[in-house]
Amino acid sequence: MDGFNFKSLYTIAKKEFLDNIRNKWVILLTILFIILIIVFSYVAGAGSEDTFGGMQSTVFGLLGISSLLIPLIAIILGFSTISGEAESGALNVVLSYPVRRIEILLGKLIGLGTVISFSVLIGFGLGGIVIAMTVGPESWVGYFGFILLSMFLGFIYLSLAICVSAYCKRRITSIGGGIIIFFWSLIYGTVMIAVLYAAGGSFQDFLGGKIPDWFFNSVVFSPSDLYQTAVQRAFGVVTIEQAGFSVAIPDFLDWPVLLSSQIIWFMVPLVLAYFFFKRRDI
Amino acid sequence: MISKMVECPKCKTQFTVKGEPGEKIPVTCPNCNLKGNFFITDEKKRFIGEDVIVISDLRKKFKDVVAVDGASFSVKKGEVFGFLGPNGAGKTTTIKAMLGLIHMNFGKVTINGLDINKDYIKIKNDLGFLPERVSFYENLTPIQTLNFFCELKGVNKEVVPKLISDVGLDDAKNRKVGTFSKGMVQLLGFAQVQIGNPSVYILDEPMSGLDARWVKIIREKIKSLNQQGATVMFSSHILSEVEALCNRVAIINKGKIIAQDNISNLNKYLKIMPRMEIKISGLNGKVPEFIKKIETVKDVYVKKDSLYLTCDSSIRSMIISELEKAGYKIIDFRTFEPSLEDAFIKLIEGDK
Repeated sequence: MDGFNFKSLYTIAKKEFLDNIRNKWVILLTILFIILIIVFSYVAGAGSEDTFGGMQSTVFGLLGISSLLIPLIAIILGFSTISGEAESGALNVVLSYPVRRIEILLGKLIGLGTVISFSVLIGFGLGGIVIAMTVGPESWVGYFGFILLSMFLGFIYLSLAICVSAYCKRRITSIGGGIIIFFWSLIYGTVMIAVLYAAGGSFQDFLGGKIPDWFFNSVVFSPSDLYQTAVQRAFGVVTIEQAGFSVAIPDFLDWPVLLSSQIIWFMVPLVLAYFFFKRRDI
Repeated sequence: MISKMVECPKCKTQFTVKGEPGEKIPVTCPNCNLKGNFFITDEKKRFIGEDVIVISDLRKKFKDVVAVDGASFSVKKGEVFGFLGPNGAGKTTTIKAMLGLIHMNFGKVTINGLDINKDYIKIKNDLGFLPERVSFYENLTPIQTLNFFCELKGVNKEVVPKLISDVGLDDAKNRKVGTFSKGMVQLLGFAQVQIGNPSVYILDEPMSGLDARWVKIIREKIKSLNQQGATVMFSSHILSEVEALCNRVAIINKGKIIAQDNISNLNKYLKIMPRMEIKISGLNGKVPEFIKKIETVKDVYVKKDSLYLTCDSSIRSMIISELEKAGYKIIDFRTFEPSLEDAFIKLIEGDK
């Protein structure tokens, strides 16, 4: 058995990057990121001396949207990368070359992940430069953390989407899988609030900040919620003050827990994707 | 320049033909003036020798459906090997299993003496594959596409412009592949298989769905690859193409190999006899009585002034002389050798 070939992995990643960087959704998302950063910064600056708000307030305003948009683009790029190519016949040709399935899988992940990272870096990076030039570069470490965590969120959802793509026989079924993943990130918070009420909690308790630890800790079951919590930590925030209520982020959700949970969300689907892809008849 | 001794198929006179390897030379028999063409092959390159592809007892089952049921055959070095079968017979599944694209339940595949399950990287370094439904990345141009495959094979990308030019896609080399017609994608596929100049080509239905112009181009490409010394295995529904291009064929039906031989041998052991058309002056739609009495003559009928019959080659001259003795004036006669299609139909029907 021959060894792993990094050159093949690089070749696949480069091809995925070239093939997807011109994807209209990616271009649209990059432009949207720039617009959103500037709009949210403008909104955050309302009522203050400056036209634009600071980095932290801008990012916190944007967090809910970015935690949906990044998964969305990752799912769009990844949901059919294996099932679609297997169906079209493109994968037949690639697999007739001296390349292993693991190299294809990782190459796709890195190539598509680079596309998302590129979009995040351009979109949020340019937006960050505009804020830094107008308001000043306060909280730049947090902002840098926000960009890195946004890129990693893209990789996590790519890993999930590729896993679905490796499992589903047909492109149409992997669309269904992609939708389920997206809706999980979309409705998870609402589901947990429903569980909180079912467990005897009330809206008044929620607004009063009387939230049980298990509710907070349940963010580990949602990569998007983990991302939001991690970004807040990156800005050094320990108490969330939003929509008229104030709650402290529990100590349990420290950096090791947040990062290791995100790494698990990234690694488990990836290992499963390899398992499905290796066994798959193309 | 090389000399070849050839034998006239009509009068058996032997005479010499001179030309370059690969050259098609018009010849006329010095004895009977029969005209034809002789194709000079390069013996060094066209040497058909040891088995290059060996399939042993290959089995593949999809849930309850047995797609390939103990298929065994071999392809020899330097030959063009046809892989025939009706739709759903198991051709594509067999080819995919040969390449490790699908996991076989049982059996062994060796290519160039290497086991596909153990040495698939080495095997694929010297293999070109064109799938039945060839597809490339829509946002890439032909140049980017072939560059990508060159990189995967570790081949210098300098070959790409020539490969594109050879398949006539020069004008489209900067267009996205997503805008290509099926024929153009197939031609790009043909450029793709030649990357690294492999010694073994596996082509799954390379002419399927193409119009006559593209079929002709692909056929010439296959001939050209073989003349350069490559071993070519291809599956096809177009029997005339297989007949024109192949040295040997394997016929698969319901997942089983039901025949594997060269085309003339297939006809021989299936006892498919050639057909004759004898044009006779003043026949007036009547079948000569004595013809009907010859036991080995079958399927006799008359259409206008032509008599049609099926008979063994050995009694053809006897029939002609008997007709002449009986006073019939023979204007012309033609013999139709049994085709691969005849063998194919007989085998498939027999298998039913």
